[in-house]
Amino acid sequence: MKKLFKTAVLATAALAVAATGSFAADYPDRPIGVAVSYGAGGATDFQARIVTMVAGNEDILGQPIYILNKPGAGGRKGWNWFATEAPADGYTMSAYNIPHFIAQSIKGGVKYSADSFEPIANWGSDPAVVVVGKDSKFNSMQDLIDYAKANPGKTTTSGAGLFVGHHIAALQIEKACECKLAYVPTKGGGAAAMKAVIGGEVLAGINNLSDAFRAREAGNVKILGVADLERNDFIKDVPTLKESGLDVDNSSVNFRGLMVPKGTPPEIIEKLAKQVPMMFAHARVAKRMKAGGSPMKIMNREEVQKMWADREEVLKELLKGL
Amino acid sequence: MTSHRMQHVVPGLAIFVLASIVTWLSFTQQPAEAFLFPRVISVVFIILAAWNLIRAVTGMSKVGRGIPVDTLKNLAPGLAVMLLYVFFGAKHLGFYLGSTLAFFAIYSFYDPASWSSVKDWIKRIFVTAAFMAVIYALFAVVLQVHTPRGILF
Amino acid sequence: MEFLNYFGGVFEPWAFMLLLGGTIGGLILGATPGLSPTMAVALLIPFTFHMSATHGLVLLGAAYTSTVAGGAVSAILLKIPGAPANIATALDGNEMAKRGEGARALHMSFLSSGVGGVIGILLLIFLTPVLAQWVLKIQTPHVFWIAILGVTVIGSLDSKSFVKGLLSGCIGLWLSTIGYDEIQGTERFIFADALSGGIGIIPALIGLFAIPQVLDMMAKGRVDALVEALEVPKQKLTASLRELTRYVRALSIGTVVGSIIGLIPGVGGQIAGLVAYDQSRKLSPQREKFGTGHPEGVVAAESANNAMVGPSLVPLLTLSIPGSPTAAVLLGGLLIKEIFPGSDIFDNHPEVVWTFINSMLVGQVLMVIFGIMIAGWAARIARAPAPIMAAGVLVLAVFGSYSVGQSVGDVHIMLALGIGMFILEKFGFSAAPLVLGLILGPIAGDNFTQGMTLAAAQDGPWVYFFTGTLNIFLISLVIASIAYSFWNNMLAGGKTPAAEPAGREAK
Repeated sequence: MKKLFKTAVLATAALAVAATGSFAADYPDRPIGVAVSYGAGGATDFQARIVTMVAGNEDILGQPIYILNKPGAGGRKGWNWFATEAPADGYTMSAYNIPHFIAQSIKGGVKYSADSFEPIANWGSDPAVVVVGKDSKFNSMQDLIDYAKANPGKTTTSGAGLFVGHHIAALQIEKACECKLAYVPTKGGGAAAMKAVIGGEVLAGINNLSDAFRAREAGNVKILGVADLERNDFIKDVPTLKESGLDVDNSSVNFRGLMVPKGTPPEIIEKLAKQVPMMFAHARVAKRMKAGGSPMKIMNREEVQKMWADREEVLKELLKGL
Repeated sequence: MTSHRMQHVVPGLAIFVLASIVTWLSFTQQPAEAFLFPRVISVVFIILAAWNLIRAVTGMSKVGRGIPVDTLKNLAPGLAVMLLYVFFGAKHLGFYLGSTLAFFAIYSFYDPASWSSVKDWIKRIFVTAAFMAVIYALFAVVLQVHTPRGILF
Repeated sequence: MEFLNYFGGVFEPWAFMLLLGGTIGGLILGATPGLSPTMAVALLIPFTFHMSATHGLVLLGAAYTSTVAGGAVSAILLKIPGAPANIATALDGNEMAKRGEGARALHMSFLSSGVGGVIGILLLIFLTPVLAQWVLKIQTPHVFWIAILGVTVIGSLDSKSFVKGLLSGCIGLWLSTIGYDEIQGTERFIFADALSGGIGIIPALIGLFAIPQVLDMMAKGRVDALVEALEVPKQKLTASLRELTRYVRALSIGTVVGSIIGLIPGVGGQIAGLVAYDQSRKLSPQREKFGTGHPEGVVAAESANNAMVGPSLVPLLTLSIPGSPTAAVLLGGLLIKEIFPGSDIFDNHPEVVWTFINSMLVGQVLMVIFGIMIAGWAARIARAPAPIMAAGVLVLAVFGSYSVGQSVGDVHIMLALGIGMFILEKFGFSAAPLVLGLILGPIAGDNFTQGMTLAAAQDGPWVYFFTGTLNIFLISLVIASIAYSFWNNMLAGGKTPAAEPAGREAK
């Protein structure tokens, strides 16, 4: 017994030395995890799985990426975990959703802010769109706004939660039309919000372009407007909210990308910032993303840093006094 | 009878105190919208807790026979290993090393076979190794779950 | 009858291999204490990346079906339900196993799973368009009332004392409010950092059921550890089949309740088993036998939790709305293959969707066959000496609760709840109502808040929650259920508790 114990201790010590021997130089030498703050099967999860699927290629990272789902409270649960518990060693990344986490940190009650994280790169932008059921009496944004003006606070509008892109879009629409909607945050994210629209439980809804595109393909909804600066390739026939006379910019566009916790070694961040955009740009990734109706927008680390800073300013202004 | 009654009064009281704290928090915390549902629950909770306490005090609570001292004595070592394992070992020693030690400790302690026979110790080591091999194959190889590594793995 | 043309796809060698592998693997994963169906399916996704759409779906579908049924094995033999769906199975199934009728309980469970499952999938095949319309009719206030109906079950569930049953449920409801409020995003009752994410159902389920079992085994000390080992004698399959025909009532209640509840997005699988169990008890002439190891209880619970599999895919396949976490994972699997659920899938990819549905039908049959084989095997493992069992279940509980969210905090919550439950059980409280409260809390709470928001924009809460045919129907069910519980409790009030042999440790 004694002998066995001795051998075990020696073996442990040897392995411990071997384990600490590896450093940033040969990073990564084991699989990397990406925490997704939404449930398996949701838009963020689905896209994160696609954009990371070629990570194992030798010319990208040489190690596969696996997905960790940490859903709850509109993403707060996952990002709280990431800000406070995740090791800053480059082996744990997280997907970010802008404007969600910045809006939540401005609103307070969470353990993170834009300063808690280091962006790596952006893979996609999913604009918020306004949808109504296929049999709805509204055929344009104008119809909807006219109704909202005539019936203040009666235009029930579903969205995925409070202080997520959909809510920001609703706030911007209210500001632009000087009317009052009844924003209904649904439990269960975008899918539940979409069901409320299809089932006629609400008069309108704000949802992700990718999900709305699918729902329209299935013949269940009409899309009235896109909350972005330009029309989107997936739905060329749908006007932007600006074209419909509403002064709404792209603040609610849901940007998705990867980030690491603050305190991750700079060499590792540098390596990731160089390799990850290549991963997003991979032809196989692009093909799968297009098939899933998910618009891509690849941005490098510097561009993302600037985008985060811009968003924070705009959101602070918008959420003032709420 | 009195000691039996005490057995029920103590947990009854503990639950009543918990219910009171929950009720108090539900009605004092803000914003009110988020606490609307907890308020509804807490009212029912405190009424039931009071009812339960009254039953315990008057000796009407008869279900369940509490925790005898013998049970506690038997339980103490296993519980200690359990707590050490979950709150310290799993994270700092690594999931697999911590689990191996915990399994071995609990199995060896509660195994009625002799503690002095070498043959029994070999059997214990063998069973532990076999069990952990299955766990490793299932979680690390098949399901590819990434567990905390700690000092070893 | 279009689906008949696509049976060939199921028996194509590769697809059939995957179906077989998925079924057997799913059964084993489901039967392992501490592993849940959603987790098994989510962990399988990466494998499907490299397969064709049809093959990927066949694998996921097989795993989905069989993990739910496999969960019954540990529920019956160890009283550790693999998923919320199996809680009700544990109530009578484990009592049967303790009496030495483990094999009978397992046979009943797999056979009734198979019957429920096949009917559920036939509903999916023939009635999808109709059912899709129903799904849309079920709105916020209705889900709220269904959750309340579930709450009314609490008092009478697996509890020797009415007050303590209700109180256990209440503790569960309160525990469910810990963490962030889903809609408002406000923190509630966060006393420790690990709680900031709330209490997950799976870690809680593992802790509340598995840890008290481990502690009970340890409480016996070093002596006579082998005595308690479970005897699972052989049982003739034909005898089980014949027996099943005697429980047609429980079987039909389970199937009907399971199919209906399965349709409701977000509620489905978790409470189908419990509601079916409760309903068949209330309608059974032998209702006093429920909870003491009555096969009808197992039959109702298991037929319900597999009947729900087919209908739960209706919102996914027609409206592109995943009704359960597992369905959400399936949606991801479809999208990655460029297939959009909705009319697109039935018009443009009939071979994919029908092969998938047919494979689940065949899978149900395979599940019964292999389930019964694996059950015999599992029964032998369940006879392992108590010290190995205790140590093994503890390690599995730790791994299982960690794997769900890869969070050490979840493991801490699991153990804390488990030790708490062990103490509470000793004073007559029980785990089943507590878990039910934990499951129903968020469903009732969030739909209540959401309904209030919607009501404020319409005609106010009274009109919103209390008018409409479906609301009134559900409310009358709630009232009937409460009245029944009270009446039954008052009637039985005087006699039950006095000579109670109190729990497991009495042996």
